Amino acid sequence: MEELILELKKEIIEVLNLEEITPEDIDTDAPLFGEGLGLDSIDALELMMLMQKNYGIKVDNSEKGKEIFKSIRVMAEFISNNRTK
Amino acid sequence: MVAMTLLVYSQKFNNMEIFIQSAAQISIQNPLCEDWFENPIIPTLPYNRSIEPDYKQFISPIASRRMGKLIKRAIATSLSALKQAEIQELDAIITGTGLGCVENTEKFLSAMVKEGEEFLQPTFFMQSTHNTISSQVALFLKCNGYNCTYSHRGTSFESALSDAFIQMKLGKIKNALVSGQDEMTPDYFNMLGKIGYWKNEISTDILRNSNTNGSFAGECSAAITLATEPKEQSLCKLQDIELLYKPSKERMQQAITNLMEQANISSIDAIMLGLSGDKKNDDIYKEFAQTFFADKPICWYKNIFGESFTAPSFGVYTAATCLKRGIVPQHLCYNGQNIQDIRTILVYNHFQNKDHSLILLSKC
Repeated sequence: MEELILELKKEIIEVLNLEEITPEDIDTDAPLFGEGLGLDSIDALELMMLMQKNYGIKVDNSEKGKEIFKSIRVMAEFISNNRTK
Repeated sequence: MVAMTLLVYSQKFNNMEIFIQSAAQISIQNPLCEDWFENPIIPTLPYNRSIEPDYKQFISPIASRRMGKLIKRAIATSLSALKQAEIQELDAIITGTGLGCVENTEKFLSAMVKEGEEFLQPTFFMQSTHNTISSQVALFLKCNGYNCTYSHRGTSFESALSDAFIQMKLGKIKNALVSGQDEMTPDYFNMLGKIGYWKNEISTDILRNSNTNGSFAGECSAAITLATEPKEQSLCKLQDIELLYKPSKERMQQAITNLMEQANISSIDAIMLGLSGDKKNDDIYKEFAQTFFADKPICWYKNIFGESFTAPSFGVYTAATCLKRGIVPQHLCYNGQNIQDIRTILVYNHFQNKDHSLILLSKC
């Protein structure tokens, strides 16, 4: 799981172009939206694309998305349980 | 009723004075400063990217993470020009761009080719349109005023400037941020190279004495602010602007005469031309100079800023700076020595000998 968490952090930094942020700067359990990284709705779309492209998981329900994108750890657990890639 | 309205407009039109309050550039010259006036960087290569300033002084990393290079440049030049002009409430943001955010357009289209339509990133999609620049600047400045983008290839900037000029003359706005914005990606540079846009070797002498077509590429982000009230820092007066499509010699002469009469100016001190070393284009400029201003000094600016669709914005920018300082430096003089005590400059641009523009500037 720790390996997946690190991989996910690197992918998020790349896809969201989070300049000057390293994987170590991202709190695994902090909220991704609002507080923490302070992401917004467009970032949510980018994360949905990332999930689909890299892990074969289609997130098409916004309520479900809110749950999945709660934190890096929650995301990693969901990916681990549902990935097809 | 219509005649009366036109009369009222006409009266307002004639009385309102318009000033270029400030200007800022990011280009192949040192950014956000006027180093180019005394110590220009002389390009030697056909492909040149802009020198980027430290954007952190304008935009936080979180805010800038979704912005392409051109958007960052547009925001930095806009903020810099507005700060110099001390404009608090902006009435209009008007942008000229030939290609818009072409870098993001390329990323979006490349992803579509590579991945199909399923995995397209929303950011590249949103920021691949031409009007993204003007709207992002407005969002950043929280400006709800008039917002417009002109994408008319080589006359995009002049179209934007003309819009601002007319609206100010009609009293609809009191100030405006007008800019020219274009980036040159490696792919686009290569494509233009295939149709003869670029030379292999560049130097001032090669550009000045060129007998071949092609020039060298630059990138453009030039923002100017206009206002109806002069300030101490005002660069110059924007007397008039005229856009012409395939004009005859008689029509061009008439347009020049009208501009000078409207501005009550009897003589032009110098003409600023878009000479670039591209013989095909330069011949048009030389004919213009020979026909209408045979005894006048000729200035140029593309020799230090390069060619791009909105390069004419550098023509206005350099002319305005020269008028403020009262001198045209040697490296901007196409013929003759540097020009002292300059008071009026006519900026002339043409695009493929179809679209022509005349912009008359004078000292405040």
